[in-house]
Amino acid sequence: MALNDMTLTRREMLKGAGGLLFVVGAGGLASVADAGGETARATDALAWVRIDPEGAIRILFPATEMGQGSSTALPLILAEELDADWDDVVIEQLNRDDRRFGNPAFGNVLYTAGSSAVYGYFDALRQAGADARAVLMQRAAALWQLPVSELRTEPSAVVHDPSGRRAAYGTLANGAGPLAIGDRPAPLKDPADYRLIGSATPRRDVPGKTDGTETFAIDVRVPGMLYASVLRAPVEGETLVSMDTAEARAAAGVVEVVSLPDGVAVVAETPWAARRGRDRLSVTWTETAAARDWSDAAALEVYAAAAEDLTSESAVWRVEGDAAAAIAAADRTMSATYRSDYAYHAQMEPMAVVADVAEDGSRAEVWAGTQTQSWTQRTIAEVLGIGADAVTLHMMPMGGGFGRRTALTQEYVRDALLCSRATGRPVKAIWTREDDLKHGWFRPAAAQHLRAGLNAQGGLSGWQHRVATPSVIAYFNPLRWQQVAPQDIISMRGAESKFYAIPDFAAEHVITERMARVIPWRGIGAAYTSFAAEAFVDELAEAAGRDPFAFRARLMSENPRGRHLLERVRAMSDWDRRHPGTGRGLAFAGYGDTMAAGVAEISLDRDSGVIRVLSFWAAVDAGLLVSPGNARAQVEGGIVFGVSSALRERVTIERGQVQQENFYDYEILRADAVPDIDVYFATGTHRPTQVGEAGTPMVAAAIANAFHDLTGRRLRHMPFTPERVREALGA
Amino acid sequence: MTKLTINGIERVSDAPEDTPLLWVIREELGLTGTKFGCGAAQCGACTVLIEGIASFSCITPVGSVGDSEVTTIEGLSPDGSHPLQRAWVAEQVPQCGYCQSGQIMRAAGLLAATPQPDRETIRSVMSANLCRCGTYPRIFRAVERASREV
Repeated sequence: MALNDMTLTRREMLKGAGGLLFVVGAGGLASVADAGGETARATDALAWVRIDPEGAIRILFPATEMGQGSSTALPLILAEELDADWDDVVIEQLNRDDRRFGNPAFGNVLYTAGSSAVYGYFDALRQAGADARAVLMQRAAALWQLPVSELRTEPSAVVHDPSGRRAAYGTLANGAGPLAIGDRPAPLKDPADYRLIGSATPRRDVPGKTDGTETFAIDVRVPGMLYASVLRAPVEGETLVSMDTAEARAAAGVVEVVSLPDGVAVVAETPWAARRGRDRLSVTWTETAAARDWSDAAALEVYAAAAEDLTSESAVWRVEGDAAAAIAAADRTMSATYRSDYAYHAQMEPMAVVADVAEDGSRAEVWAGTQTQSWTQRTIAEVLGIGADAVTLHMMPMGGGFGRRTALTQEYVRDALLCSRATGRPVKAIWTREDDLKHGWFRPAAAQHLRAGLNAQGGLSGWQHRVATPSVIAYFNPLRWQQVAPQDIISMRGAESKFYAIPDFAAEHVITERMARVIPWRGIGAAYTSFAAEAFVDELAEAAGRDPFAFRARLMSENPRGRHLLERVRAMSDWDRRHPGTGRGLAFAGYGDTMAAGVAEISLDRDSGVIRVLSFWAAVDAGLLVSPGNARAQVEGGIVFGVSSALRERVTIERGQVQQENFYDYEILRADAVPDIDVYFATGTHRPTQVGEAGTPMVAAAIANAFHDLTGRRLRHMPFTPERVREALGA
Repeated sequence: MTKLTINGIERVSDAPEDTPLLWVIREELGLTGTKFGCGAAQCGACTVLIEGIASFSCITPVGSVGDSEVTTIEGLSPDGSHPLQRAWVAEQVPQCGYCQSGQIMRAAGLLAATPQPDRETIRSVMSANLCRCGTYPRIFRAVERASREV
């Protein structure tokens, strides 16, 4: 059953279908319903559990799945405290913008980003499970006329050891019995008793991803469906002047040509006919958009000048003490400027949406893979001018997200809707890879200027980190910007360097003009701020004549867990044994509250300028690991992503147009360039922190620092392309 | 009108002969396990076996297939029990999963030609297929695991 319409299910159930329905709030269980009635404790409901008489335990998955694995991890947290048999658990996707189930880490917006699902929902789901378990125990106590204190649970059953009585959860849910919820939250398990959290429970979605049955939005097929291919304005802001559609309309299989706000769609009976029809369009666009002046090179020049001009206006990201005074008072002052280019998500599934708009435009059914029920539903309602209750949404698993599918306004959804409305038939709109790249929204280009002082003892005296880059939030979610401006976590994360204790510290956002479409990208700001910060730390350690481990450990005098990671990664990488012809580099970064220490070992072909990352060792503290196997997979993948970004990935823009087309000129890392990866996880805390993005931010600096170890030269412009490497070598 | 043999079953396609096999398989015949990624033989999400050889279906015109036997992920085993599929589950390879049909079909082509490939051969052959989630280390292990069973 799709949990599309749980309210309907609930009504049906109250009519006598049996079973127990739990409404769970931030403070635990909010209400319980059975065929006879309902009891409620007023809180904001956050999650639903339904136990069928047959014993199936249906747990709502409120996030969306893009490969990060939280479609298994979130229900598992609830199942743990419910003491459910995992084999009884049925996971059901939340398919609408219902803020009762919203992500507590994002003000209850339905939003899957920032590696936040597990840590954001952790408390609510645990309490939900514990409270639901307490209700089942009360029902067993009533049934058996026994004090609840004599009962315990085992997977999916309440048992009474002295009498040998046992009642399955499904049986308890079906019978009559109390629905009362305790006044206080039910007690939680001792983490030592966890059966599911921390276990090797496999991901639920893996079998369907090995036999071809997993259905992504691009795979959805609806009777009578047409296909749309969209020719988009080549430069942001340009509009249609004129078009000749005769040839396109004459092409076999073409049904309709539809004008869109920034493009022209050819709608046809097959995807290939739509593509061929699109090739036959003759379109003239305006040539007046301001974006015609955009170029990546010009953007970086402007951003670097702004970062280096200490008088240019900036928004405070984090400040402690008086960085400027400490630097001025230091024995030595160091400074450096780091650059990073635009980067593309390259998610393997290009944008694809199926929309079926009712002929009178009053209703719509949409199949889409996005990171947010809230903003997808909002996009649909706004495009069609209909209410949320006229929208039937299907949140499909995504063929990768990495931030690309987070925007407030989703043009890929809009296009499918407009094409369906224009033709009166369901339409699948599929972006080509070229569409996806040329009309991508990117990690912004950034220039960062860092300054620091060193005292006579080789210690740090003041740190100033100026990040010149646009506000990402202002563009991809202007509503959010109204709430948070000028604090832009997407542009700035990582620059707070919070794992170090630096008394005189300043991180500043020089908010520059946007010269491309920008959006979150794996690691958000930390993907480049941690590159700059950790490459600069390496420069400072060298200038201070200190070992890079010792220099960082001194900055972590109040962070023993961080120092532990340094010690571990030093041992794992056998740091003190050097291999001829290779370089080693250290970085300490992480994401959010997750800390990660990484060592890269590289080799270099000096003639071609090609860096090869041979090995990467990482020591990670992500707190409690709900799904340790998947956490390891995420960090491995995050490291691969980081290597790819550091060595290769670069979007260039000229006259407002993206220059790259496909994977042949935007190359992501292939199997032959993947390093050996070894990941260690620290243990010993009882709360999870971020995992999905934690592997990425440390990588670029570790490689740059390894390059210095090998060559004595610094790489300060990411990616470290062969041309830039040769330039750094002075070749 | 093109006759095809897909997963051992004769099928007929109305698509023009220049239509890529990928779109016929997916949208006309409904075998959506084979994915569109790039349309340019760059990512391998569309990989199928043609006469046992891993091929990019996105650049293979349907009219060029002729009598050749085409195998898609749906035809690799009746129930997901091919040694590669079991190895993929055992190593928990997929993350988003979008590329994995193509990865498995590429690996099937490899093992058909080289039942016991060494790590370097696996790296080299699997480099035809991209994975943005970065599952490559697990892909290597899964291919090695399956090669011990084939």
